[in-house]
Amino acid sequence: MTVPPSDKRIPTYCYQCVAGPDLLTVKVSDGVATEVEPNFAAAGIHPGDGKVCVKAFGLIQKVYSPYRVLTPMKRTNPNKGKGEDPGFVPISWDEAMSTIAEKLAEVRVKGLTDESGFPRVAASFGGAGTPTQYMGTLPAFLSAWGPIDFSFGSGQGVKCTHSEHLYGEFWHRGYVVTPDTPRTNFIISCGSNIEASGGVCGVHRHAEARVRGTKRVQVEPHLSITGACSAEWLPIKPKTDAAFLFSLIATLLHEVPRQRLDLPFLRDRTSSPYLVGPQGYYLRDADTAKVLMWDTVSGRAVPHDMPGAVPALEGTFPIDGAIELGADDERWEHGRVEGVTAFTKLVEHMREFSADWAEGVCDIPAKRIRNVASEYLEAACVGQSIEIEGKTLPYRPVAVTLGKTVNNGWGGAECCWARTMLAVLVGALEVPGGTIGTTIRINKPSGNRLESVVPGPDGLMAYPFNPTDRENWVKDPNMRNAYRTLVPLVGNSSWSPALGPTHFAFMFLDDPPEHMPRGTFPDVLFVYRTNPVLSFWDVDKVGGAFARFPFSVCFAYTYDETNHYADILLPDRTDLEGLQLIRVGGTKFQEVYWDSTGFALRQPVVAARGEARDFTDIATELAARTGLLEKYNAAINRGAAGLPFSGKNYDFRLPVDRQNSVEEIWDAACRAASAELTEGRESQGLDWWQEHGFRTKPFSVLNWFLTPTMEAKGLRYELPYQERLTRIGRQLANRLKEQGITWWDRQLEEYRPLPHWGDFPKIWEQQLIEVGGKPEDFPFWVVTSRSMQYAWGSNAHIPLMREVAGNIKGHDAVVMNRQAAEKLGLEDGDRIEVRSMVNKTTGRVLLREGIRPDTILMTAQFDHWVTPVAKEFDVASMNKLTAMSITLTDATGSAADLARVAIRKIGGRR
Amino acid sequence: MTKWAIVADLRRCTGCQTCTAACRHANATLPGVQYRKVLDVEVGSYPEVQRVFVPVGCMHCDEPPCRDVCPTTATKKRADGIVTIDYDLCIGCGYCIVACPYQARYKVSKAEFAFGHNPTSSETQRYDKRLLGVAQKCTFCSDRVDEGLAQGLTPGVDPRATPACVNACIADALYFGNTDDAGSNVSQLLDGNKSFRMHEELGTGPNIHYLWDEES
Amino acid sequence: MKGDGGAGQFQGVTPWLQTAWDMRAAGNFIGGGTGTGLLFLAAIAALAGGGSPLLVVVGLIAVAGGLFSVFLEIGRPFRSLNTFLGGRRSWMTREAYVAMALFPLGLASLVWPAATPFLLLLVLPYIYCQARMLKEAKGIPAWREPAIIPLIMASALAEGAGLFALLTAILGRRLPPWALLLLLLALGLRAGVWLVYRRRLASGGAPTRVVPKLARFTPPFLFAGHAVPLFLLVVAAVLPSLLAPLAALAGVVVLLAGWAMKAFIITRIALNQGFAIPVTPVRGKRRKGVDAAGTAPGWHQ
Repeated sequence: MTVPPSDKRIPTYCYQCVAGPDLLTVKVSDGVATEVEPNFAAAGIHPGDGKVCVKAFGLIQKVYSPYRVLTPMKRTNPNKGKGEDPGFVPISWDEAMSTIAEKLAEVRVKGLTDESGFPRVAASFGGAGTPTQYMGTLPAFLSAWGPIDFSFGSGQGVKCTHSEHLYGEFWHRGYVVTPDTPRTNFIISCGSNIEASGGVCGVHRHAEARVRGTKRVQVEPHLSITGACSAEWLPIKPKTDAAFLFSLIATLLHEVPRQRLDLPFLRDRTSSPYLVGPQGYYLRDADTAKVLMWDTVSGRAVPHDMPGAVPALEGTFPIDGAIELGADDERWEHGRVEGVTAFTKLVEHMREFSADWAEGVCDIPAKRIRNVASEYLEAACVGQSIEIEGKTLPYRPVAVTLGKTVNNGWGGAECCWARTMLAVLVGALEVPGGTIGTTIRINKPSGNRLESVVPGPDGLMAYPFNPTDRENWVKDPNMRNAYRTLVPLVGNSSWSPALGPTHFAFMFLDDPPEHMPRGTFPDVLFVYRTNPVLSFWDVDKVGGAFARFPFSVCFAYTYDETNHYADILLPDRTDLEGLQLIRVGGTKFQEVYWDSTGFALRQPVVAARGEARDFTDIATELAARTGLLEKYNAAINRGAAGLPFSGKNYDFRLPVDRQNSVEEIWDAACRAASAELTEGRESQGLDWWQEHGFRTKPFSVLNWFLTPTMEAKGLRYELPYQERLTRIGRQLANRLKEQGITWWDRQLEEYRPLPHWGDFPKIWEQQLIEVGGKPEDFPFWVVTSRSMQYAWGSNAHIPLMREVAGNIKGHDAVVMNRQAAEKLGLEDGDRIEVRSMVNKTTGRVLLREGIRPDTILMTAQFDHWVTPVAKEFDVASMNKLTAMSITLTDATGSAADLARVAIRKIGGRR
Repeated sequence: MTKWAIVADLRRCTGCQTCTAACRHANATLPGVQYRKVLDVEVGSYPEVQRVFVPVGCMHCDEPPCRDVCPTTATKKRADGIVTIDYDLCIGCGYCIVACPYQARYKVSKAEFAFGHNPTSSETQRYDKRLLGVAQKCTFCSDRVDEGLAQGLTPGVDPRATPACVNACIADALYFGNTDDAGSNVSQLLDGNKSFRMHEELGTGPNIHYLWDEES
Repeated sequence: MKGDGGAGQFQGVTPWLQTAWDMRAAGNFIGGGTGTGLLFLAAIAALAGGGSPLLVVVGLIAVAGGLFSVFLEIGRPFRSLNTFLGGRRSWMTREAYVAMALFPLGLASLVWPAATPFLLLLVLPYIYCQARMLKEAKGIPAWREPAIIPLIMASALAEGAGLFALLTAILGRRLPPWALLLLLLALGLRAGVWLVYRRRLASGGAPTRVVPKLARFTPPFLFAGHAVPLFLLVVAAVLPSLLAPLAALAGVVVLLAGWAMKAFIITRIALNQGFAIPVTPVRGKRRKGVDAAGTAPGWHQ
């Protein structure tokens, strides 16, 4: 539509999901927001050509929803429960802040941690870092406060690609792993639903790739959006992806000539040539403890860093004198001993996992598995190179991607290993066209993957494991989910608590396993942009916990299932009302790797409704009322608002002794951003950024690839053999044994030199039996699938999203294979009950061809009972069905969105 | 001569409905009125199944059956091919709706808004009561096209002269342009790729072209 | 979230029942068909010397009732005069034109009965317009089927003849043999055309969901709507004393069957075209041996 002169288009960003930000403009007529459009000025800068995702179009209804909470509220009914009316009544901001400040002051008097050593203040934020893009300077307040427990999850682990986060970051600084989509030609996608989860960048890039001829094979129990957009669909049995990937490796190792693999990469960039001793640890030089390799030049074993050595990749070699270092004090001194290269160990280990074996496990014909292996190898272009920005790099246009449920819970680690090994075998790890990581969250500096590559032991990268040695193991958990105690790989960065077994924080409140301290309820809990009582798993249990939190403060947009239990509701300014500057570009989550880097501004497109307050103002007020103003302001000046306010040629730091206004804070941020982008030459403030919306500078594409840095630093990827993890795991086993803990034994089996096929689907059957069920009574698997229209958006209450999502099959119903349904006498549209051992849910059934007969699909988990609009949906939710259970928790602390269920017709068609 | 058309690349489309949402915004249609939408179509039977996302809407046919049946001449075809509706002439008889083999036309007799009976501020701002009780459909954003041309812009190239759905498409699956111009973006796409038009056998001459493979 | 359930709202990929025209629109085809059919017979009766103003009045009322019925359906009734603007292409406008001549002539014939036969010049165009209106609704396979034209016209004749028989009985007159013949002829014609129409729709001319509906409708339609009146008329022919009541009864049945048929066509089998793709797109590369054929959901593949 034509814009009359009185109309304005205001630039801002949408970061409702981790695939953001998208840069957009909002048309405003007479002060009313009317239309969202892409920010056309970002074409050529944003990798999705400046386009904006469907979710952003819901933001206008979000602003104007009649269901918004527009004033602070307090609970008047002291009884908390699902059936209790909270009796929220409006209060002034002053009363709300005074009440909160009073509680916080009590905490400071009592001590920041309680008798159990747990922080008395907890916070639960949703959406994989997206809240940060909306919470203004709250991080500065959190930093000023001191210890806060972030371990009460809202989906982390069960709802994310958790194994990849930990193992990906460990092996190649790939907290999130993606193909180098602009260059890749062949993708094996195990359950990754990139067309729904990859945001604008993902959709745009993969569309380009398809038209270029890139072939993607989708391996998944149902034909997802991504499956639809793929060249080939392999309907795999749920949770058997590791077997499929193992068989690809076995095929490459045992059925094709070895020289077709990238032997130089394996030899020089991986720990493949390291010699393994009889105890399964590396053989080391007795004096220096350096790992040994067999040097083909000198014909003897040499330390891994011997200059000029050309190590043998394969073989068994006689070594005169070497040691092995095991867990804790284990040390074996060998005289003459046989050293086997790690690669040879791999070759032997993988022999049993042939395509014929996998056919029986995965329900995929061996012939098709072999075809995939063969096409992968063919497409890998082993030996070829490409020039990027004047630099010659290996060109390996093949990638393997893993989706949620494949990539978390049991079998996730094995899939991650196998995926990374598939890249390694053809030299396609962290090189153009290959499998690359985009972000780090456990290592530092978090803003730069390449700089995080620092030498560790044995010529490998350093990694900040949580210690498992006797002296340093964290016996007493510092946070309620015990992440430091149980999960070495999760590290101890600011993200780590929320990456631990976040369900344990809830489970241990009532039912801690043996020798684990009972969780305590934090005195104060803050909740923002998350709804765990609806979106976590075994949600009735989560709701039960929320009912007992003594004092919780929810930043509330509408009433919802979680803030139903809150004591105070605070209305913050929504996406189109608040002010914040964020970093954009570089390499970040999903497919958000740009060839530019810079900043974007979110600004009030329209006046805030009601008494909604900017998050930055709320944070400043909290800091002032808790006496933390100076620390808070100092944290902002240091960079807690997203960037430091001073640098080499500039200083826009704010006075620390007063409450700076939201405009003052972001004006300083804008000036610092301008200066950072121009090396101090320019200092445009808020006005400039409000007009332009974003600003970037070039970011070298070479930064996308880690291998050149590894090469420059002479480091090797720690693959295939997991000597270090094995040691750490055995030490952890020792520590737990010392404490008498046996309930983590199965998880400890994940720490092994080479992963095994643990019949992962069977674990779900075993868990059923443990809780008194019979597997045959629950013959179906229920899985879920990402919805682009909703994912991460906290937007189920936005009618436009409901409307447009309705055009995509499966949003309103439980999807089931037509033939399987007919066997049960079900017709399209029948009402069914889906039951697990945990709970049951009801909905309509939608019969489709694109799903395995033994699997059903629930895309949307919308059994809301408070959230306006959404509570009318009448859609089944698997969040009720999935069990919170240690048995179903893997060693990284994650489980999968997966359950065994029974189906029963309870009504006819509408 | 000018003949505006949309080229939809089915290889690219992922069914995300961004075009649907953008169209709802640009045309301020009431809930459920989707001039542009993307279908989710299954082909084949398990396990040999394909799933295709197909953007549909008014095809701005060469021989529009909706125009031929319109008793009021409210539906017209412009010289540039765009099929229009004069909302002040239309009596809302619904004949065009049943004449359209693409299910592209809507008639809303009673306004319901996103959150029920009461419109939001944004909906109040944009509510056009001329559309009540009459036929409505995709206009190829003719006002954008016309405004853009008046400013010397090229529809299909310059966003300000291009339909909102095309601007919004995140997969670059939608293109707009002049098929009478051999050098235009859409003509070149049609030359370089295999394409079809929907229900072509009905003789309507639809002007949404679907690309499905490159020309071998 | 489907708007107000108004016409054309999105309901998926397979053809769904159109909702733009409901019983109110069907009413126009019922009234128009019956009315013109009756006027047709009234005109012939006038020629044959057995005219009656009642026949003309009822015929005009039926046609007017049909038009009023559709008036209730349109979204902007106060603009209904705009209907006259589309004469270049629209059969709906043409129907309106004919109606504009039909009513003055009909009223005139009440004053000057000699004008009654001239109605023949208008009732045929009127019913043809109605038949063409359905035929031109390209979006509805069950309407655009060419056999709809003879079907609608045959039914109009049958309905008119049926009503003629009834009114004749009410007037206490003897049913002229030509009227009986016309009734029998129209009855046979309608049944025959229906079988052709049904076969065409069932053999790919309409979405598959139409087929069982046709299968359910046809037997009672043919039996009750055709065989039974035929039987009544045969009995009446054998027992002339009962001719009037039996013919009237047969006429009512024929009339109702015609109405039922139109209601069925307009509101039950009026599934729209749905969507189709003749071929599936290539995503990157097509796997060898995969069928590229597309689909037309809801149609016989």
